[in-house]
Amino acid sequence: MVLSKTWQNFFRETGEMSRFTWRFFAHGFKPRYEFAEFFRQCFLIGYKSLPLIGLTGFILGLVLTLQLRPSLIDYGVESQLPAMVGIAIVREIGPVITALIFAGKIGSSIGAELGSMKVTEQIDAMEVSGTNPFKYLVVTRVLAATLMLPVLVILSDGISLYGSYLGVNIRGITSFNLFFKQVFDALSFSDLSPAFIKTFFFGFAVGMIGCYKGYNSQKGTEGVGRSANSAVVVSSLLIFIIDLVVVQVTDILGLN
Amino acid sequence: MAKRTFNNIKLGIFVLAGLVLLIFALYMIGRDANLFGSNFVLKARFENVQGLTAGNNIRYAGIQVGTVRRVKILNDTLIEVTLLIEERMKPFIHKNDIVSIGTDGLMGNKLINIVPAKDGSPPVKEDDILATKKTVGTEEMMETLNKTNLNLVLISEDIKNTIRRINSSNALWKILDEPTLPDNLRTSMANIQKTTAEANEVVIGLHSIINDVKNGKGSLGAILTDTSIASNLNDAVAKIQRVGDNANQLADELTNLTRQVKQDVNNGKGTVNALLKDSSLVIKLNSSLVNIEQGTAGFNQVMEALKHNFLLRGYFRKLEKEKKKEEASINKTVSMP
Repeated sequence: MVLSKTWQNFFRETGEMSRFTWRFFAHGFKPRYEFAEFFRQCFLIGYKSLPLIGLTGFILGLVLTLQLRPSLIDYGVESQLPAMVGIAIVREIGPVITALIFAGKIGSSIGAELGSMKVTEQIDAMEVSGTNPFKYLVVTRVLAATLMLPVLVILSDGISLYGSYLGVNIRGITSFNLFFKQVFDALSFSDLSPAFIKTFFFGFAVGMIGCYKGYNSQKGTEGVGRSANSAVVVSSLLIFIIDLVVVQVTDILGLN
Repeated sequence: MAKRTFNNIKLGIFVLAGLVLLIFALYMIGRDANLFGSNFVLKARFENVQGLTAGNNIRYAGIQVGTVRRVKILNDTLIEVTLLIEERMKPFIHKNDIVSIGTDGLMGNKLINIVPAKDGSPPVKEDDILATKKTVGTEEMMETLNKTNLNLVLISEDIKNTIRRINSSNALWKILDEPTLPDNLRTSMANIQKTTAEANEVVIGLHSIINDVKNGKGSLGAILTDTSIASNLNDAVAKIQRVGDNANQLADELTNLTRQVKQDVNNGKGTVNALLKDSSLVIKLNSSLVNIEQGTAGFNQVMEALKHNFLLRGYFRKLEKEKKKEEASINKTVSMP
C-alpha cells in the first residue's frame, strides 16, 4: 500500500505533534518551574488580548441581538430575545468566536516568535546555556494559553451580553436588571459548564499548535511565516473539531 | 523589574475579573435553581405531567417560589413531582392548596402553579403531599374543538336543509305574503285576550265556589262537608232495606191470598164465587133493578103532581126566580170587561 505524499506528510505531522504533546505532559509538571516566564506569558497572552477580544465580543453581542430581533418579532416572541441571545452566547458563540480570535492573535504570535527563535538558533543557544528551552518556551506558553482563554471567554461573554443589552435598547426598552434576570433564568449549569470546560481545550490546542509549528519551523525566514500561518489554520480547525467532540460528549452525558 | 510587578498586578486584576464574573454567573444560575439558601420539599402526584421536567419553575399565586427538583414515576398512572420551595414561603402555603401544571405564556416552558385554597387550613410541613388539579392540555383542547367542529358541520348542514325547505315552500310564503294576515292576527289576539279574560272570571267564580264548598257553604258544601249526612244516609238506607223486607213479606201474603181465592173460586166457596159463578143471582139482581126503575118512575109522577098542588106551587116558583137571577149576574160579569 503506497500512500500519497500528502497523506504521508499528514500522518508524519500528526505523529510528531503527538510526540510533542506527550513531551509537554512529561516535562511540564516536573520541577523546575518557570513561574516568572509563565506569568509574563499570561500577561502577554491574556491581558494583552483583552481589548481585541472585548471589542469583538461587544460587537458580537450587539449584532447578534439586532440580527435575531426581526425573526423573533415574526414569531411574536420578542420578549425572549435576552434568553435566546444569552444561551447562544454562553453556550456556543462566545467560546468559539473568542477562541478563533485568540488563535488568530496568539497562535500566530507564538508560531512566529518560536519560529524566528528556531531559525536564528536561539533555542539551540538556550540549550547550551543550561536552560531547558522546552520548559522555558513551550510549557509556559501552552499553560498560559490554556488558563487564559477561559478567563477571556468569561469576560468576553459578559461584554457580549452587555452589548446585547444595548442592542435590545436600541429598538426597545428593557432595564438592566430585567435583561440579566431573563438571561440567567434561561441559563442553567448544563449550559455554562460544558461551554466553560471546552475553552480549556481550545486554549490548550491554540498554545500547543502554535508552539509545535514555531518549534519545528524550518527553512529560514520563509519558514517563520509558514509556521505562523499554519499555526493559525490548524488551531482554528482544531477548535471546531474539539467543539464537535465536546457537543457529542455533552449530548451523551445528557447535559444538553 | 518594577514593570514586571505592574504587569503582574494587571494580570491579577484580569484573572480576578474573569473569576468574579464566572462565580457571579454560577451564583445567578444556582440561585434560580434554588441551590443556595434554605428550601423545603413538597410533593404532588399527577396522572400526566405534560412535559414538566426538573428545573421548571414553581409559582405560588404568580410569585416565583421554587423549582421542580425531580419527576418520578410511581406506577403506570401516577407520577410524583418533588417541589423545592423557598423556606420563607412555608407559612403561606397551606395543606389544602391546589397544585396544577401550567404554561409560562402561550408557548413557554411548563411550570407548577400552587393555587391558594383560602380556607384557613394549617400551613404545610416538610414532605407534605398537596392535592392536584388536572388542567386541560392543548391536545385535549384540540380534541374537544375537533368534536365541536364535527357537530358544527352537522348542524350547519341541517340548517341549510331547513332553510332550503322553507324557501321552497309555497304555502308558507303565501301565508307570509297575505296582506290581511296582520289584521286577522290582531283581531284573533284581541279575541283571545277577551276569552282569556272571561275564562279568568270563570275561573275566579269557580274558585270562589270551590272555596265555599270547602268551607261547607251551600247544599253541595253541606253534602260534601257535613259529616252527619253520612250517618243519616246510612239510616235511610237501613230504613229502605227494612221497607223492602216488609214489601217482600206483603207480597208473600198477597200471593197466599190470591192462591186461596183461586182455590175458593175453583171449589165454589165464598162471595166471589157466588158473584162469578151463580147464574140465578144474576136473574134476581136483574128483576130487582127493574123494580127500582118502576119505583123511581112512580116517584117522578108523584113529584110532578106535588108541583102543581096549590100548597106547594109558591115554593117552586120562588126557586125558579132565584135561579134566573143568578144566571143574569153571571152574564153581567162575563160581558163587563
